[in-house]
This record gives sequence, C-alpha cells and structure tokens, in this order.
Amino acid sequence: MVLSKALEAHVESFISRLKRRQIVGSYEVAKETAIILRQVVSTTRWSDATVLIQIIKDLGRRLSAAQPKELAVGNIVRRVLKIIKEVVRGELETDDIMNSGTSEESDDGFSDDDEEDNEEDSDREFKSILAQDTNDNADHTNDAIPARPKLQTESSMFNLLVDQHSDNVDYSAKSYGMKPLIIQEINEEIIADLETVYKGIADQALEHIHANEVIMTIGYSRTVKDFLTKAALKRNFQVIVAETSPTLQGQEMAAALAAVGIETTVITDSAVYAVMSRVNKVVIGAHAVLANGGLVAVTGSQMVAAAAKHHATPVLVCTALYKLSPLFPYDIDLFNVCVTPDQVLSFSEGTLIDKADVQNPYYDFVAPEFVNLFVHNLGSAPPSYVYRLINDNYDSEDTIL
Amino acid sequence: MIHSGADSPIFVMATEIEKQADSAPLDPKLFNAVECYHRFLQDPDMSTPVATFKVFTEFIRCSQAPTMTEFLETLRQVGETIQDASIYDSNEWKSLNNSRTRNPHKATIATLAGIHLFNQFVRRNSSDFTELEDLKATLLNGSARILEKAASARERVAETGAQFVHDNAVILVHSYSRTVMNVLQYAANVQNKRFKVYVTEGRPTSDGLVAVSELQASGIPCAAVLDSAVGFILDKVDMIFVGAEGVVENGGIINQIGTYQIALVAKALSKPVYAIAESYKFVRLYPLNQYDLPSIVPDIVSFSTRRKSSSNALDLGENHSVDLAMSNPSVDYTPPQYLTLLLTDLGVLTPSGVSDELIKLYL
Repeated sequence: MVLSKALEAHVESFISRLKRRQIVGSYEVAKETAIILRQVVSTTRWSDATVLIQIIKDLGRRLSAAQPKELAVGNIVRRVLKIIKEVVRGELETDDIMNSGTSEESDDGFSDDDEEDNEEDSDREFKSILAQDTNDNADHTNDAIPARPKLQTESSMFNLLVDQHSDNVDYSAKSYGMKPLIIQEINEEIIADLETVYKGIADQALEHIHANEVIMTIGYSRTVKDFLTKAALKRNFQVIVAETSPTLQGQEMAAALAAVGIETTVITDSAVYAVMSRVNKVVIGAHAVLANGGLVAVTGSQMVAAAAKHHATPVLVCTALYKLSPLFPYDIDLFNVCVTPDQVLSFSEGTLIDKADVQNPYYDFVAPEFVNLFVHNLGSAPPSYVYRLINDNYDSEDTIL
Repeated sequence: MIHSGADSPIFVMATEIEKQADSAPLDPKLFNAVECYHRFLQDPDMSTPVATFKVFTEFIRCSQAPTMTEFLETLRQVGETIQDASIYDSNEWKSLNNSRTRNPHKATIATLAGIHLFNQFVRRNSSDFTELEDLKATLLNGSARILEKAASARERVAETGAQFVHDNAVILVHSYSRTVMNVLQYAANVQNKRFKVYVTEGRPTSDGLVAVSELQASGIPCAAVLDSAVGFILDKVDMIFVGAEGVVENGGIINQIGTYQIALVAKALSKPVYAIAESYKFVRLYPLNQYDLPSIVPDIVSFSTRRKSSSNALDLGENHSVDLAMSNPSVDYTPPQYLTLLLTDLGVLTPSGVSDELIKLYL
C-alpha cells in the first residue's frame, strides 16, 4: 500500500460515498478529489515524478471507477497530472519554492474548508509581502476576468515537424523541492480556483441579462442562482422556472430566487413549450460538459433546449471549467444514471408498481447544436470552442486514465 | 503497378524538362521521381501522403545539387512532378476500371497533402542552415522520425475510432477505406465488440465489395448495399463511418464520390457521421463548392451535346462503364456542418479543431 493509513481510510470513505451517491454534485466531488490528491502528493513517499504520476493515475482510476458518472473526479485528476508535469518541466517559476513553506501545513490530517481559505489567504499575503506576486494565478482574486489562455502550440501534428527533443522530458529525474511547488500549485490552481468559480461566472451576468427580459431555467444549480442573483442587483427581469419533476429542484430554485427579490414564476415541466414563445433567454446549469460541446444536465434540460431551439431562443449554459471533461459522448446513455423510481411512483402503490416498469433517469444529454453559449469562470465560449478549452486545461495523453 | 503506356510518366517528365530547360539544369536523379512514387505505392498498406514523403526523402538522399538554391529548386520540381503524376494517375485509374483492380493512385488530394507537409518541413528547417550538407542531414533525420510517427498513425486512429463502436451497433461504411477497415477490425478483434456493418457499393469502382469480403474474412457480419439504397437503409443504422482522402482547412473532407450525399441524408435523419483520417491527410485547401478542387474537372460538370449524351445513354457496350467513370468525378467535398466528429491519430476533433491544427502547422 503506497498511501498512508489515514489517507487510505479517507479514500475508502470517499469511494463508498461516491458509490452510494451520498456525495453528488460536481462541486463537492471536485473539491474532495482535489484535497485527497493534495494529500497524496504531500504524504506519500515518492522519489521522482514518474512514481508520483503513477500513484495519482492509479488513485484517479480507482476514484473514477467508483462513480463513472461523476466526471469531475477524472477532470481534477487530469488537472493535477498536468500540474505535476508542468512543475517537472520547470515551466513554473522556481523562485516560488521559497515562499511555499506555508502550504506544507496541509500535511496534517483532513483540513476542512475554512482552514483551506485561511491557508490560501496567508499564502497569498506572504507572497505579496515578498513582492514576488508574478504568478498569473493570483489574478483569480481580482474582479477582472483573466485573459484567455494562449493558443497552445503543443500537439502531435505540430510535433511532426519540430524537433522532438523538448518533448522527451525525463520525469524520473530526482528533484528535491518539487513537492512544495506541486502542493502550492494544487492549492492555487485548483482548490482556490474552485472557491472563485461561482463569482467568476456571476460577474458576467450583466453582459447576458438585460432589463425586462424573461429568463427560463430548470433544476437547481448554484451557478445559475448566483448568476441570476448578481444580475438582479442591477437589472429588473423575470424568471420562469420549470419545476423539474420528479425531484422538484425547480421549486427549490424558484424559492431561492424569490428570496432575493426576483420576480419568479413556477411552471410545470409540461408547460415549457407553451411559455417558450415569451422567453428571451434560457439559462441552465450543467453537471458535466463533454469535449464536443454537449452537456450532461438535470433531466428535462433536453426538452427545454429543444423547445428553445424551435423558437430560436438563445440557450446559455453556466458551467465552471472543472466540469469540462475531455471525454466524448460515445453513447448518449453512457453518462446517464437511473435512480430510484420512488419519486415518480411511490413504492406504497405496490399493486401498480408490479404491473408497470417505472424509470427515473437523473440526467439528460443535450447535444451541442442546442447550446448557443457556455459561460465559464474565465469568460464565455460557443460549443465549437470547447475542444480548445479542453486542450488548454488537460494533457491529451491523460484523457484515458 | 499498372500503366496504360510505359512512356506516359516519361511524357510528363519530358514537358517538365522542356519547361525547365532554359533555367537551371535538372538533377539527373529527378527522372526517377515518378517511378519512385509508383514503386512506393505498390505497397497496398502505403498511404499516399507517406509515399510522397518517402519520394522526397529518397530524392534528398541522391541529390547532387551543388548549391542550396538549386537543391531547393529541384525539390520544388520533384513536388510538381509528383503532383502531375497523381493527376495523370487519376485519369488512368478510370480507364482501367474494367480490370476491377483497385488502384490507390487516384488520390490527388492526398498527394497534395504530402507535398504541402514536406514543403513546410523544409521551409521550417532551411533558414537555420548555411551548409547544404547540414541541411540535408537534418532533413533526412527529421523525415525518418516523421515517417516513424506516420507508420503508427493508423493504429492510433483505430484506437480512437473504436471507442465509438458499441455493442449491437449498426454501422454504415462508404466504400473502401483502409483506415475505416482498421477501426472496424480493431473494434471487433481487439476489443471484442459485436456489431454489424453495411457497406455501400461505391460505384464506379465497386471498392465496397472488396471491403465486404475483407470484413467477412475478419468475421464481422456485413452486407453490401447499393449507393442508391442509402436513404432506405439509414433508418436501421446507428452511425456512419467514412474515410477521407483529404481533410480541408474548414474541417470538411474530400472523399470518394457519394460521401456528400450520404452525409446529407444522415443529417436529415440525425445520424452521426464520423470521418476517420490520419493527421497527415490534413491539407491546406479551402474549397468553396464541389467544383473548387484541384483535381480533374469531369465532363459531367460541363454539358455535352445532346447527340453525344444520347449516344452515351444508349451505348451498352463494353466501354460503357469506362465512359461513365471517365465522365464522372471520383471525389466530392463534404462541408464540415455535415460531419459530427473527426476521428484522427491526434484524438477526436470537432471539425473546427482541424483549422487549429493546420494553423499550428503552417503558421
């Protein structure tokens, strides 16, 4: 066993919670995955990066096998792998090692979220004192949306022509001092990034929502809620929420929106098409975004998107970058899951249940042609641009863990 | 390899020489370029851009050009010669249609892709060297590496493409394509997936029948359908796989005639169309319509006289199918909006991803 005993216990508990679907929602899953991986980097014994990459890959495979529908697990694992490779290639400034002492604290036990924040803050303060704040990632705290990542010039097609030597980095080289740097990068690039995604998306709300518009949404998504709430600070608009049977997440969403003073209407799912002609924009959240620009979202999303397409109503999808998965929808049912049919037809109605087959799919797959724009935490992109965001975020060799 | 007349490639060369006679003298080794190109193409597993690349490598190896300028000039001439040969071959292919032997020479666009790739490769390197011998050594080294990569491209395409095949799938394949065959065989024999395949006949070459026998040999249940039955059969089909002779800048493909209409029918019935191609087939072309391709403009595009066409229609003699092949295009262009995804050795690409790759390559 490569993992320490405490860590192994943590991993096991995470896996069983994933399997039992006690932990659902890509944000929670992503966050816990990132914390576990950071602990792996800090507490396991590894002498060179090859070993570490292998450990992370093995663990990543275990975690994503536990719940293949939670694509965020794999996404975070791929991000961590990319960070490790970048650190080894020396692409990140090495002088950061000097101030990374603070992030070593995370070695002890399972720090909860509050601790994370403090740690992040202290880390950042320390850096600014040293006036070494050259790292672009520190920009996440600012209001400004960071510039779009540059066009990556590394791909095998390009490598056909250029010299290959730069590609063969020796990951097995012993390098003392890589560990704190990797931990720091995980803290800044991934964990701190997770904290700011909602804000990053909500900050763009005013660009997309205008006065007196009618917005339709479905399901409960914190991203969409924050997005609309932020817009409501400045603009007056109306929101129509489909109730999202059988989970009735839509009702929950409507209550939350009404609580912040937005004029909200709840409709049944079957009325979506009827009211679509009055809607100016559809704003939905996503569970995961696939590499072709399609998305896995709460059940009913496809129906809303299809109705919107019929009326040529723009469909906006609010999604954080960690939901972007480099996988393709090889089969549209692959990422769906059927949950207990209890909410559709209660088990107390046993006589009927015996005779009818009751299905309750939890997600919907929405094809890229139904989406007009993805609003993510660093900007916005049409579905045809998603592949590029994926190239910027992950290493193509990690697509299959 | 089959030639209608042994002198024809030389004829191509002769005009070339006349054209160049008053400028720089040609390298004697250049005379072998076409012969060399044909020799490489005799290998049935050799793809056209790779063969083109190999001709260049061969040429560099025996080039005796004394100066850098002459070397680059002769290199350019080799490119033109091969291009001419491939256009000539695509004519020849039609006249030999009766023999029912598959002729891999028809790929004019693929040859162009190979030539572009090599020219870019030379351009990237030529500015770094002042000594000709150094440049030649670097080019030879580099191209050996590129050929090595290219050799494994089809395998990687097969791995990428086979992910999209699922159990109980029904797949429609257009005519014969080596890459598509590889994908299907990989899915069936390596991943042990069970699926059925319909193959269109692919007139006028009827290459689809070859594909059927090959698939049957590898134990994949398959059936040939008429090109005109695509609309009829498509309701039963889950996805469509097509190969590509060339992938153009906007993500569209140039492929055997009939691909475009299959893609149109598939779009109407919302079936996914996957184009399968190796990345060395990406070519820097931007066709605006079907007739905007650097290949033979067939007679069918221009109207023949009434008398001629009626005599064509009535002619049921031996040469009938030859006439048909001669007067019809061998490739068509499928615009990107009709393709779902491109499955390549670089991974899965959306059509818009192709231009990105090409920009990286040629910028």
